[in-house]
Amino acid sequence: MEFLQPLALFGLAGAAVPALLHLFQRRQPPTLPFPAVRYLMDAERRDSRRLRLRNLLLLVLRTVLIAALALAASRPVVPASFGAVHAPSAVAVVLDNSVSSGVMVDGRARFEALREVARAIGRRATPSDRLWRILADGIPERLTSAEWEPALDALAPVPARLDVGLAVRTAGALLRAEGLPAAVVVLSDLQESALTPASVDVPVVTLAPVRLPPNRGVAAAQVTPETWSPGGTIVVEVGGRDAPPAEVDLAVGGVTLARGLAGPGGSVVLGVDRIAPGWHAATVALAPDELRADDGFHAAVRGGVPAAASAVGAGEFVDAALATLVAAGRLRAGRGVVLGDRPDRGATIVLPPADPALVPAANQALAARGIRVRFGLPRSGEWAAASDLLPIEAVTVWRRHPLEGEGVTLATAGGEPWLVLAGDAVIVGSRLEDPWTDLPLRPAFIPFLDALVNRVGAGESWQVRAAPGEAVRLPGSGARLLLPGGAVPLGADGRIEAPREPGTYFVASPAGDTVGALLVNVDPRESDLAVASRALVRDRLSGATVVEDAAALVRAAFAVRRAEITTALLSLALILAVVELILATVGGLSRRREA
Amino acid sequence: MAERLDLLDPYEVAQLGGIELTAQGVVEGFLAGLHRSPFRGFSVEFTEHRPYQAGDELRYLDWRVLARADRLAVKQFEAETNLRAMLVLDASRSMAWSGAPRRLSKHEYAQRLAASLAIVLLRQRDATGLIAFDEAVRAVVPARARSLQRWALLKALAGLEPGGGTAAEPALQRVTDLLRRRGLVIFISDLLFDQDLALRALLFLRHRGHQVLVFHVTDPAELELDGPPEVRYEDPETGRGIVVRPREFRGAYRDAVQRAIAGWRGACRRSGMTYLHVRTDTPFGHVLRQATERRARLG
Repeated sequence: MEFLQPLALFGLAGAAVPALLHLFQRRQPPTLPFPAVRYLMDAERRDSRRLRLRNLLLLVLRTVLIAALALAASRPVVPASFGAVHAPSAVAVVLDNSVSSGVMVDGRARFEALREVARAIGRRATPSDRLWRILADGIPERLTSAEWEPALDALAPVPARLDVGLAVRTAGALLRAEGLPAAVVVLSDLQESALTPASVDVPVVTLAPVRLPPNRGVAAAQVTPETWSPGGTIVVEVGGRDAPPAEVDLAVGGVTLARGLAGPGGSVVLGVDRIAPGWHAATVALAPDELRADDGFHAAVRGGVPAAASAVGAGEFVDAALATLVAAGRLRAGRGVVLGDRPDRGATIVLPPADPALVPAANQALAARGIRVRFGLPRSGEWAAASDLLPIEAVTVWRRHPLEGEGVTLATAGGEPWLVLAGDAVIVGSRLEDPWTDLPLRPAFIPFLDALVNRVGAGESWQVRAAPGEAVRLPGSGARLLLPGGAVPLGADGRIEAPREPGTYFVASPAGDTVGALLVNVDPRESDLAVASRALVRDRLSGATVVEDAAALVRAAFAVRRAEITTALLSLALILAVVELILATVGGLSRRREA
Repeated sequence: MAERLDLLDPYEVAQLGGIELTAQGVVEGFLAGLHRSPFRGFSVEFTEHRPYQAGDELRYLDWRVLARADRLAVKQFEAETNLRAMLVLDASRSMAWSGAPRRLSKHEYAQRLAASLAIVLLRQRDATGLIAFDEAVRAVVPARARSLQRWALLKALAGLEPGGGTAAEPALQRVTDLLRRRGLVIFISDLLFDQDLALRALLFLRHRGHQVLVFHVTDPAELELDGPPEVRYEDPETGRGIVVRPREFRGAYRDAVQRAIAGWRGACRRSGMTYLHVRTDTPFGHVLRQATERRARLG
């Protein structure tokens, strides 16, 4: 109960007045002589019980009357929820149809149970309510109560991940603008990993977490090397929790080429001796479990022949590495790719000259070849090298020429371009020797050079990983994304929204050559079905109310209708006053008539 | 006399003088309104004729005078006294109470009523006496019909002061001892004592052949309860008290009073006694008239 004028509650003290007056008057009655006391005693003997009851009733009536008036003055507001009637409310339902919601619990997908609750909310809603729905894609959608159920019928788990905290924050911001009593209803499997913190100023209510079954899923599949000539390996990492190890199959081009065994938290290396030259879609599949959507993983492998490479003025480390790679069969000796401090014809990897005086000449040569990248003035310092495409983790750069101009950055040093691809040339900002960088001294140097030379030798080749629907920027000269339904042109800067269906999607150049692959897979965190505890739910979701059953959740979703009962209290006071009047006077009159 | 005292407010009448004077005035007024003797005895003796007046009973018309003189004349008799009347007056403390400043107390009213009755009875040559009592018999004037009896009675009445408690039964037993010959007992009291005991004594008188006339004297304030919102009423005789709220208790009290009056009236009627309820604001003449009428009905 709330009070619009709470100060008036002090008037309740007045309810004690009748009792106090009663006590006060009883204390000092005057004494008067009266001979007919025997009549009084006779009357008292006959009437005292009735009088006591009447006086008690009068006392109660007057006390309640004053209390009712004081309460009426305070303008109390009480919940007035009867049946399905509730106050107009704004309700945002965060319905989790992420990958994990497809897990089977007791023979039924968890999503189905969550959707049933969402349907119940729609049935309770009235046209006065404002309903919002937020799915795994995180996009809020306003629906009327009439649209609610049909829209739910069309839903199914999607290969997306729901950030519950983000969705709640979005819902909170929406509801704040509605200006109605609001609530955020979270219908989710409450994966612990999806429960990011959210602080909102509207009530959050959710169903109690349900324990989910053990699960395993393919978390990653790393193709090594990037170009198989003729064979290679795929390192498969398995995610999930509590599930036993299961068979892992690698299929390339629809043909299973390797098998292994791995469990949650483990990995398995699946090797393939030979594949045909060209791009191939690869699929890693785990034995089925209660959550099927994470049992497969899409990858791409490219088959090819080792590049022919030679070095001119690239330094002794490069010379030694090339010799090693040739000896190992990863490269061939030849001029297919030339590494040196001056750009050569054809595929080339250009290092800055050791003599700074020759840098301008090198820049002129680059420009003469039509390469719009040039070496800047040398800098000294200490920078960490980084690349998504090449194995140069923990490599330090001490000296480099900033790379100025246009090209595709393959690696950075201190956040600035360090390896830049421009056509069929790769310009490196540092010489690959001490004291420019410690890369030549590291074990990664040979694989780095292998990947770099074979990439340059094979022409443009890359792979980009994305989640379903994620906006990504595709590198290189790709012009079209090849989808099962046809090719989709890429934007000017290579940006595109990844397809919502997991899979391997190749990208073609304007000339029609396949230059890369977009690998769309579900978020590996979806495989971890550990659910949050109630305490964690409350902690992360703004003190959310966790209810046990759907009915309670549906009730909590809508605001309770509140009504001011001032009029009712005044009516009660009036009735009490009339009753008091009757009891105090009319009773006496009737007795007089009888007499 | 410009006004008949018997019809005036008793308080106003009492302001005119002492008991003797006012009682005399009351009786004069009362008798002036009557056309026959208020209390007839067992036999009468003719004294004179007087002209007939409208309202006179025809049986007293002297037909022989009418035949001889052709005029209407009524025979007048002088009662031959053999009625012995005893006024029994309650002089207890409760009788001293008055519910209003300008109203006679029950005692004062009873004094004047008794005096008036005594004068009327003595005028009829009835032997009239007085017994006053409270807890005990306080005064006794034996019944006589002599001329000085009037002064003896009035003196005794004037000298009465309200005393202590009320014990009607011993006083009435004493009355029976004093009234050896059958006669009329006029009992004047507020009847605020044990009804059963008092009735037993009155019945004893009745069984002895006395005619009993009971005047139940009440103050109007005793009939309708009034007062402060809450008050402790105390019996002046016993000191017993009760705390009541008059406004709430009024109805129940009225019922109790009416029940008591009805009880006395019924008991008296069943026993062949005459009961008269008298308020102290009732003019004496009205009371006397009521008394004579009741007596006439009873024969």
